[in-house]
Amino acid sequence: MHFLLINHIQNAHQSLRSSRFRSALTMLGVGIGVASITMVLALSNGASKVISGQIDSLGGSIAVVRPGSTSDSITDIMQPQANTKYTASPLTEADIADISKIPQIKSIAPLMIIGGSIKADSVAPSDSTIVATTPQLAIISDLILGDGQFLDDSVNKNTVVIGKQLSINIFGTESSIGKTLVIREKAFTVIGILARINKPINYNLIDFDNAAIINLASGKELNQNIVQIQQIDIKTNSIIDLDQAKTNINKILLKNHSGETDFAVLTGAQISQPTSQLFYAVAGITAIIAIISLIVGGISIMNIMLMTVAERTREIGIRKALGANNADISWQFLIESLIISIGGGIGGYIFGYIAAFGVSVFLTFEPAFSWQIFGIAMAVSTSVGILFGIYPAIKASRKDPIESLHQYN
Amino acid sequence: MAEDNQTPVIRLQDLKKRFGIGDAETFALNGINLDIEKGEFVAIMGPSGCGKTTLLNILGLLDRSVDGEYELNGKSVALMTKRQQAKIRSRQIGFVFQSFNLISRLNVIENVALPLVYKGITRTKRLKIASNILSNFHLNEREYYMPYQLSGGQTQRVAIARALVNDPSIILADEPTGNLDSQASHIIMEELSDLHNRGNTIIMVTHNPGLTTYASRVITMLDGKIDTDTKNASIVMMEVPVPASVAMDIQKQPSTRRLRKKYIRRMKKRKK
Repeated sequence: MHFLLINHIQNAHQSLRSSRFRSALTMLGVGIGVASITMVLALSNGASKVISGQIDSLGGSIAVVRPGSTSDSITDIMQPQANTKYTASPLTEADIADISKIPQIKSIAPLMIIGGSIKADSVAPSDSTIVATTPQLAIISDLILGDGQFLDDSVNKNTVVIGKQLSINIFGTESSIGKTLVIREKAFTVIGILARINKPINYNLIDFDNAAIINLASGKELNQNIVQIQQIDIKTNSIIDLDQAKTNINKILLKNHSGETDFAVLTGAQISQPTSQLFYAVAGITAIIAIISLIVGGISIMNIMLMTVAERTREIGIRKALGANNADISWQFLIESLIISIGGGIGGYIFGYIAAFGVSVFLTFEPAFSWQIFGIAMAVSTSVGILFGIYPAIKASRKDPIESLHQYN
Repeated sequence: MAEDNQTPVIRLQDLKKRFGIGDAETFALNGINLDIEKGEFVAIMGPSGCGKTTLLNILGLLDRSVDGEYELNGKSVALMTKRQQAKIRSRQIGFVFQSFNLISRLNVIENVALPLVYKGITRTKRLKIASNILSNFHLNEREYYMPYQLSGGQTQRVAIARALVNDPSIILADEPTGNLDSQASHIIMEELSDLHNRGNTIIMVTHNPGLTTYASRVITMLDGKIDTDTKNASIVMMEVPVPASVAMDIQKQPSTRRLRKKYIRRMKKRKK
């Protein structure tokens, strides 16, 4: 069998080379499918890497509580997040108060994202974010001030810290300390400006360069005295405490939420799952394209293989007369279709990375390399080859040798 | 291969091959009883459609759906699995076809080495064995030619080399000279009789009565049955190109009478 395998590979190579153009076209279908899968995975891994890099640089002792339960890992790329966006967040001020009592926790910051425009000399662009939080956010997320001071418990509650880009957008200058801006008809005085971080992708899902940060109390006032918390950032004393803290948080929240798991406590790699809706939309569409082109590629493999079998019927008859059994014949054609699909897979993998790097020119992160992506590309192309190659192969092996020998070339 | 010399290599008992069903049922073979001993050179003759090729296909285990008993080296073929039959085709049977049946994508040496593939022999070894066989047929210089670059006679010699590469005990030849001119035919027949002299069992189907001189036994078939068999008749070895019994037999058949006359004329011309 071992020698036969090598022989089949040589044989397939020879027969594919004799019809190069045809083989290349067939590979293209699988190639496009694998290329889009590779591209999506490379980019999403790249994005995850950015976030996990940030968490690592913060010492790794970060936990994040988000509303809604989360699913796991790679499937997230295929499906957009559930409609948690439209359900009321179950995280409350009471939760924060209870969590902050956990001994392992060093600091805790809720994030309450508020809709509304930011007005000053000009109106801020719509991608600016208003976030209400506590002073500890600066510690947890390692926010560095370019000018002025961050929120703290002693300052007037109608004060705001803004990102550098936002400052430029609404005041036309980087130094806007002391100026006032208006959020929901309420005036806030700028007391600090963040240094430019240029990290639009992070685990807070907030582009701090374009954000206005206000006190949680002010946020509550702006929102008809209701606190709506989208995320709670938690920093533990050290990375060793993380697991214990996670268990405790889970326990407290379960108790507060009458035993309902309507939240998720995320640590480490879980946080770094890309969660942007746009990203999911793009990934979803690309995944559909990938699946369609894989199916089309698979069908064209089957088509070509059926044609090859028909063309080589006489050869099948000869081979059987010379001692090939049915398994030998089906292996011969199966390996041929596998070589087409794996060839397409390798080509698609390479092209996918080229495309990913091309796209990353317009993004703030680079595609990541990992053996898993290569594994997925190979697994996908191999299964396409087997799935669509098995029927022609079996058909070939079942041919009657006498009838086959009567076929003219 | 059974070492017992008493057992015939091939034993057929009341072998029947049916085509069609119901009213359309016809018998391509209708009760063949035949023993072939090791080392025989059997020529099977008969008019078109008498079942010669069908018989050969059955002997070569290419046709499975038959009634009656076929024993190869004392073992019933009907009891074997497809895989076992393939193994026997690979190790014990060599095929030579009228239309050569080389694979046009492969060059000469790869074609010759092809049967070795299914024995699980490495590529280098395969090519070495094939090269040795080809040198017996004086075809070394053509090893890397493609089949279409060869003459008919050369192609058939390559095909014979391929049939021999596995060292089979039985060689089945279906009109091996059917597509060749008389000179090439005789070269091929010399090769076959050479193989016969070395102890191989050869079963050959032919239309050409002249070629039966090379055979040690001539069987004529008619309408799916054995008509005459020189083994059972008294064999008269004479200095005529065709065994007498067969010659007479042939003359009775309108389809071969013409051929016979033509052949005798040619032989006379050659003697002059």
